Amino acid sequence: MNVVTRGIKNATRSPLKSGAIVLMFAISIALILSMLVARGSVLSKIEEVKATAGTTVTIQPAGVMGNMGGGDPLTAEQIAKITSTANVSSITSTLTDQLGTDDTDLTSSLELGSFGQRQQRFESSTTGATESTDTTTLADRPAPTPRTSVTGTTDANSIATNGGELTITSGEAFDGTSNELIALVGSDLATKNALTVGSTFTAYGETITVKGIYETGNAFQDSGAIFPLATLQTLTDQAGAVSSVIATVNSSDNVASTVAALETSLGDDADITSDAENAAASVESLQGIASLTTAGVIAASIAGALVTILLMFLVVRERRREIGVMKAIGGSNRSIIGQFIVEGLTITVIGAIIGLALGVLVSGPMTTSLVSNSASSTTSETAAEGRPGGMGGPGGAFRGASAQLNTNLTQVTASLTPQIFASAVGITLLIALLGSAIPAWLTARIRPAEVLRTE
Amino acid sequence: MLTVENVSKTFNTPGGQVQALKDINLSVKTGEFVSIIGKSGSGKSTLLSILGALDNPSTGSIVVDDDQINKLSGAKQTQYRAKKIGFVFQQYNLVPNLTALENVMLALEFGGYPASSRLDRATQLLESVGIEADQQQRRPTRLSGGQQQRVSIARALANQPAYILADEPTGNLDSVTGKKIFDLLHDLSRSQQTTIIVVTHDLEIAGKTDKTFTLKDGKITTK
Repeated sequence: MNVVTRGIKNATRSPLKSGAIVLMFAISIALILSMLVARGSVLSKIEEVKATAGTTVTIQPAGVMGNMGGGDPLTAEQIAKITSTANVSSITSTLTDQLGTDDTDLTSSLELGSFGQRQQRFESSTTGATESTDTTTLADRPAPTPRTSVTGTTDANSIATNGGELTITSGEAFDGTSNELIALVGSDLATKNALTVGSTFTAYGETITVKGIYETGNAFQDSGAIFPLATLQTLTDQAGAVSSVIATVNSSDNVASTVAALETSLGDDADITSDAENAAASVESLQGIASLTTAGVIAASIAGALVTILLMFLVVRERRREIGVMKAIGGSNRSIIGQFIVEGLTITVIGAIIGLALGVLVSGPMTTSLVSNSASSTTSETAAEGRPGGMGGPGGAFRGASAQLNTNLTQVTASLTPQIFASAVGITLLIALLGSAIPAWLTARIRPAEVLRTE
Repeated sequence: MLTVENVSKTFNTPGGQVQALKDINLSVKTGEFVSIIGKSGSGKSTLLSILGALDNPSTGSIVVDDDQINKLSGAKQTQYRAKKIGFVFQQYNLVPNLTALENVMLALEFGGYPASSRLDRATQLLESVGIEADQQQRRPTRLSGGQQQRVSIARALANQPAYILADEPTGNLDSVTGKKIFDLLHDLSRSQQTTIIVVTHDLEIAGKTDKTFTLKDGKITTK
């Protein structure tokens, strides 16, 4: 029997006590591993969220919101400035317009209703034949007719209201850089006018071929038509003009600086809005979980270390006499300390193996539980703070970003990487060594004469 | 030869300083069987601890075979205890989770005895003190007091020490067993020229030793 075998034998000397240390240590290790896994998953998700969500900046001509307001469209020169701004990875440009009865043979699929009538009351008066508009009352004006919204875009997906790809129910999408006389038609408009893929209709005096039918589930969008940007610019005689640009930034961390740069370069000619705050709120929520898990790792490590140290401390105290006798019969500090270190390591290694196995089992559900709780609270916050869907493109972009954030949160998966496992093993070894060093220190301090004097 | 010169020992206690030993002088020749007697608290065990390098005197010196042991380093004192001293305690003080055989082998390990020969040596020692084969595999709790003390003596003899320091070796035993243990120690002294110093308050035992020192209030009163 040597130091090692004696240490191992001593570890099983009191099964109940050793079992208690093993169990408590195992629970601590399982917690440490679970928290490390959760932290790793959340941190990687934060990076993903930063790269994919809340990275859009919307630039509109000052005073314009959708089809409302006034001002001049953005020019090709301004678009070039936006494109060349640092951290802007891509842009989607749109130009919106409305087709009246003089512009098209299409019949709008939207009922004008009292809201639409109110919006068009001024135009109705000016389009009337009478010259004296000042004295015309609402009742005297001719009945307004509903119009058809058209959007020219470099990316038809920007019309999608879910932030993802536009659903094409028949036909296919067009190339955003095209200048052909083609269009995608909303499902409601297509039904109203009996349009199918390949059908034609007239707009701005030109014959337009239906390239596809899309459906968004939004009655306003589904009553419109989408053209390639260049096509609409040509048809409306607005070469290079754009009424809205959505710029995608490479990371949500850079959104604020990009907005500042755009504000400087575009000045007062453009209104710039971003989804950065929304994204920051989502990242903050994830960072909250990351902080929680970091605190969990620290707390579980301290608890594990304290449990081990206290119990080993009790073990050494209980065996003071035995240690004194061993020293009296010639046992060196080195051999006795070695024996206790082996004993401590035996118990902690068994506890660590059980704990790591337990940790692997529970880390997945624990991470999912932590994140799904946070996701539900973020969903309600987003719903409360969410912007109302406006006319045209920008509203859709914000709604899409929010949907993406929530998806990201619920998609955090527990991933046990070798690095995380190595961290857990490292912390475990540190605790085990600490748990063994304390009794070793106590052992070295025991003076045999004092112990034996108390006989 | 063991010589104690002007040894005093003072302890600091919450109630103040206590002088356990006062200017002790004595010498013991090699192979002598010596007893130290005195009442409880007279300083017997303290003196034995100092002789075994378990403790250092406050003043004075202890010279064992030309080495002043109280001046040795901690590591050297451990070596001194492992190789030159064998302890026998009143409470036996065997390691409870080791068998009788393992207890003796533990002392052999500390004394640097070759691992391959420890088992044979321990078995032989236990047989020599009357512990039979089946008893050798038992843990201390499954041995009687007398048997435990025999194991304790076998352990003390493990490294063929020049000195055996026994603190009340028969104190916890009945008179018949106590006599057997005493006879065992006595025989060792005679057969192996081992110097034995026994602390006891049993005057009958003290009467059978070669020399008796009486301690009273930390001072030697008779030699």
